[in-house]
Amino acid sequence: MISVQTVALTSVAYFALLFGVAYYADRRRAQGRSLISNSYIYSLSVAIYCTSWTFYGSVGRAATSGLDFLPVYLGPTLIAFTWWFLLRKMVRISKQENITSIADFLSSRYDRSATLGAIVTLFAVLGIMPYIALQLKAVAHTFDLLCNPLTIASQPIQTLIPVLPGYIDTALIMALILGLFGVLFGARNLDASERHEGLVAAVALESLIKIISFIAVGLFVTFGLFDGFGDIFENFLQQYPQRESLFRLGENSISFPNWFTLTFISMMAVMFLPRQFHIMVIENSDESHIKKSMWRFPAYIFLINLFVIPIALGGLLLNGGDTTHADYFVITLPLSAGHTWLALLVFIGGFSASAGMVMVSSVALSTMILNHLVMPVILKFKLRMGDYSTVLLNLKRLGILLVVFLGYLYYRIIGDSYALVNIGLISFMAATQFAPAMLGGLYWKRANHKAAIAGLSLGFLLWFYTLLIPSFVLSGWLESDILERGLFGISLLRPLELFGLTGFDIWTHSLFWSMFFNLAAFLTLSFFTGQNDSEAEQASRFVDVFGDVQFISQRQRISRAPTILEFTELMSKFIGEKQANTVISEYLRQSNQEIDQRGNLSDEEIPKLKSFTERTLAGYVGAAPARIILENYLSTRGSKMEDVFDIFGSVTLSRTASREQLSVLYEASQIVAGSNNLQQSLDDILALLAQQFKFDLTVIRFLDEEQMMLTVRSHHGMSSEHFGGSERNLDMKTYIGTAFLSNKAILVNDTEYLDKPESAAVIHREGIKSFAHAPIVLEGEPVGVLSAFSRSAKGIFTDEFVALFNNIAGQVAIAWRNHKQLTGLLEVREQERELQIAKTIQMGLLPSTTPKISEIELAGLCVPAHQVGGDYYDFIERDDGSIDLLIADVSGHNIGSALIMAETRTFIQARSANIDEPAKMLRALNSFFYNDLTRAELFVTMFYLQYHPDVGKLYYTSAGHNMPLLWRKADNSVEWLDAEGLILGIRPEVDFEQRAISLYPGDLLVLYTDGVTEAENENNELFGEEQLQKLILECTELPPEEIINAILQQIRIFTGQHHFNDDISLVVLRILDSPEDDELAEA
Amino acid sequence: MKRYQGSSTREAWVLCLILGTIMLNFPFIQIFNSSQLFLGIPILVLYFFVGWPLSILVIYLFTFQLGHDEQPRKSDSSDRTES
Repeated sequence: MISVQTVALTSVAYFALLFGVAYYADRRRAQGRSLISNSYIYSLSVAIYCTSWTFYGSVGRAATSGLDFLPVYLGPTLIAFTWWFLLRKMVRISKQENITSIADFLSSRYDRSATLGAIVTLFAVLGIMPYIALQLKAVAHTFDLLCNPLTIASQPIQTLIPVLPGYIDTALIMALILGLFGVLFGARNLDASERHEGLVAAVALESLIKIISFIAVGLFVTFGLFDGFGDIFENFLQQYPQRESLFRLGENSISFPNWFTLTFISMMAVMFLPRQFHIMVIENSDESHIKKSMWRFPAYIFLINLFVIPIALGGLLLNGGDTTHADYFVITLPLSAGHTWLALLVFIGGFSASAGMVMVSSVALSTMILNHLVMPVILKFKLRMGDYSTVLLNLKRLGILLVVFLGYLYYRIIGDSYALVNIGLISFMAATQFAPAMLGGLYWKRANHKAAIAGLSLGFLLWFYTLLIPSFVLSGWLESDILERGLFGISLLRPLELFGLTGFDIWTHSLFWSMFFNLAAFLTLSFFTGQNDSEAEQASRFVDVFGDVQFISQRQRISRAPTILEFTELMSKFIGEKQANTVISEYLRQSNQEIDQRGNLSDEEIPKLKSFTERTLAGYVGAAPARIILENYLSTRGSKMEDVFDIFGSVTLSRTASREQLSVLYEASQIVAGSNNLQQSLDDILALLAQQFKFDLTVIRFLDEEQMMLTVRSHHGMSSEHFGGSERNLDMKTYIGTAFLSNKAILVNDTEYLDKPESAAVIHREGIKSFAHAPIVLEGEPVGVLSAFSRSAKGIFTDEFVALFNNIAGQVAIAWRNHKQLTGLLEVREQERELQIAKTIQMGLLPSTTPKISEIELAGLCVPAHQVGGDYYDFIERDDGSIDLLIADVSGHNIGSALIMAETRTFIQARSANIDEPAKMLRALNSFFYNDLTRAELFVTMFYLQYHPDVGKLYYTSAGHNMPLLWRKADNSVEWLDAEGLILGIRPEVDFEQRAISLYPGDLLVLYTDGVTEAENENNELFGEEQLQKLILECTELPPEEIINAILQQIRIFTGQHHFNDDISLVVLRILDSPEDDELAEA
Repeated sequence: MKRYQGSSTREAWVLCLILGTIMLNFPFIQIFNSSQLFLGIPILVLYFFVGWPLSILVIYLFTFQLGHDEQPRKSDSSDRTES
């Protein structure tokens, strides 16, 4: 017997030690030198699995039913094989998503469903309450035992503090103390990601104490009271041979299905009990610690179980085989042997086992209650609070106390009547219900939130019905009616033989039915119902957490986006100003965000900041509430999260984007390449843009160089005269003008912020939400603007899109250039065709035949250098038998020359009847022509002759024309005919000299234009009159046509070209021997 | 997922888990389920208390091998806020 004071004092001292360690650990963390960040501490803290149930209950179980205490520890050993993959995955995800609890984990995985979070929380609290009750019961019981082993029922606490009223028992005091401890270390301040190093340090120390004290008492019993393991078994089997079955299975209450059930549910419990999840996942500071703990933790539970059987058997031997108080053999054995200090150590060990579990469970559960039950309510009713952070912290503290006191309540109502281990297993079975949703969520992307909610709900319903109800009945709290006859007297609904399933123990029965419904609902709904995009994205964030795949973040934008400052203010409300400023500046520093002049991030960065804010808040309040907080906040300020209408299809991987981009570009280039019709190409490109990107209006404008305005060339989509159709001035007052003049694309992702009032008026009137202008650039110079407008979506212009948009503008430029070139080509061709016509006409103006006059031989030819020329020759027969010959050269060889030539011909042909002398003809021609020629800046040279065959007289006159060559057959001499006369078109009135000579038979007259004498060879030498003369002298006997041909031939040889550079005209006249003359000569 | 060189070791945990579960369950333990004693200790108790540390040894060897196969990615000891 130890005095109450000693026990109380020792407890307080131990508390002080725990507190000191915890405080030290917290301080170390604040200094950045974590005390707990090593694999030993981690492994020890995971040993929080061993509660007072292990500490006291295992021995009780071993003494009453034998080996079935073991599966509860074999299970965790087996599941430890999976930790490097399963546990590490959970840790990785939790760090990535700022998970705060198992409820948060599930809710976060399944569409951040607030409902799921609430359900998990409710079930967890309900499921863990008995467990907490069990701890309180153990501590209170051992405290009382220690102080007064004989009268267990007495209230030693009143001995210590006599003023306490009778209803206050040890368990309540313990609950208070443990609750306080939880508050001190679990909710001293609000902490992102819910890590509490002080708490972990305390838990690790407790784990150390509990194994030391248990091994101490084990050694004491095995080797102090008995003579080793063999001795105890020997003694026991001698004294109680009928209890030999304790060491065997399959008999008594330990059936094989039962064995398997216990193994399985403890496997699940060690992973999914809220406190295990909290310690192993949330408090994990380094993934590598998991590896060491994979064998250290099983080794720990092996060691702590090593002496369970010896202590149980020793207890039975020393207590005459009485199992009534077998749960407390650990403490009664040293106590009755008079080793009070050992008993005190054991008490401290047991206290440690309980305290660790209660503290961590209450912290974990209170986090869940706060985040998944309280927060949604606060947010739902939009309770206005200036500073949430203090309120939240206090609520959390309250939650911790609440959880502990719920446990206490459970203990007071039914806990006393049920063995420790049974209470524990109820909680294990509850934790097992999380398994399908957890494992499915980790490895199966299709698992969705409806399935998780349904599975969990059904599982817990069955758990409640097949396990909790019977436990209520067995504790006498409920009538046994329901067990015997079933619910509403339906025997199929008997909780222990549901649907007629008999022959199984209560655990196996409950496991079977709860898992059956849980799994069935989970699998069925996952198979047959779908996920929305954000849930699918979240699912892949979880399932592929180790993958190399970059998470595809749904591209979104926020309209009326909050500024960085506003996000910070929002966070401050929940996590305190200092903390908020720290995290935001850290975020901005890490992500190298560029901040524009308005102190804001770009459109694409804002959603990232929003999700950062959400994730940070999730670290404090859980994923679902964080989402609600952000949604509420944005909706109050009128902002909206809008799916950025995904410009490149439903998935926005950059790889996919470039593929989509290419295909659009490809189509655009096909359009450009495939059509000669510019209008068609432009229309098609705009239609393509509008169709691919769902624009409401797309426009192409080109610069009208005359008016210096951008005029619409093509538009697609909504038609509005003042918008799509109108031209735009070229100035910086409009966005389009700016795009053109600055030769840069202009994007407006949200038309609520426009700084050009002129544009804004139009844009707002038309209800445009966003638009883009890209200059159409040809060889570096803008020639027009491609524009796209959207009435429905904001923020659609991403970098990828801009690149694409510019490229399409480039395609438009190509179409434009092609069009221009083609038009030019067509014009030339048209001109040529016209010139061809002109040539035909012009050639038709020249005499097609030569007059048949018996006294002369005539030939004429004109070879224009180009299609049309200015050379002209003609023969006009007169009624008196004379013939007019003329050759003229209009300067230039173009259409103008041709026209003048035609006019000349007309004049001469028309007037030849009235004007009978060459000089008069030229004079009249000159005065008639003077104005025309001056206006056209042309002039004409002409040689006009009139030959009278009857008298052999030739009258001639010249208007500055090349002198014709006259060959006299008689003496084989050459004369050059010349007469005074000015070129036509120089002066209005000119007198022309008219000369006359006689021609004799055989004489040869050659008229030519300057194209003959001025033909140039490659040495820039002219053909010249001398060569002409020489040539003519050589072929005087040839017929006139052949003389012409010979001259042309010679010129071609001289120039080395077939083609002439100037028009060439030749007229050759030969005087034939008159028949009379011949006759005379003959005579 | 990344492929590690010692992927056979990586997958070995599945085998260990299954083997362990079989060996610690019916019908396997039926073999030792008798009232015989060995060194004064019931044979089933001995089976568990020898088999158990042996399986822990297997895990130890397994984690030892893991350490050689891959360098675990160290996560920051401080809170990671950005994924």
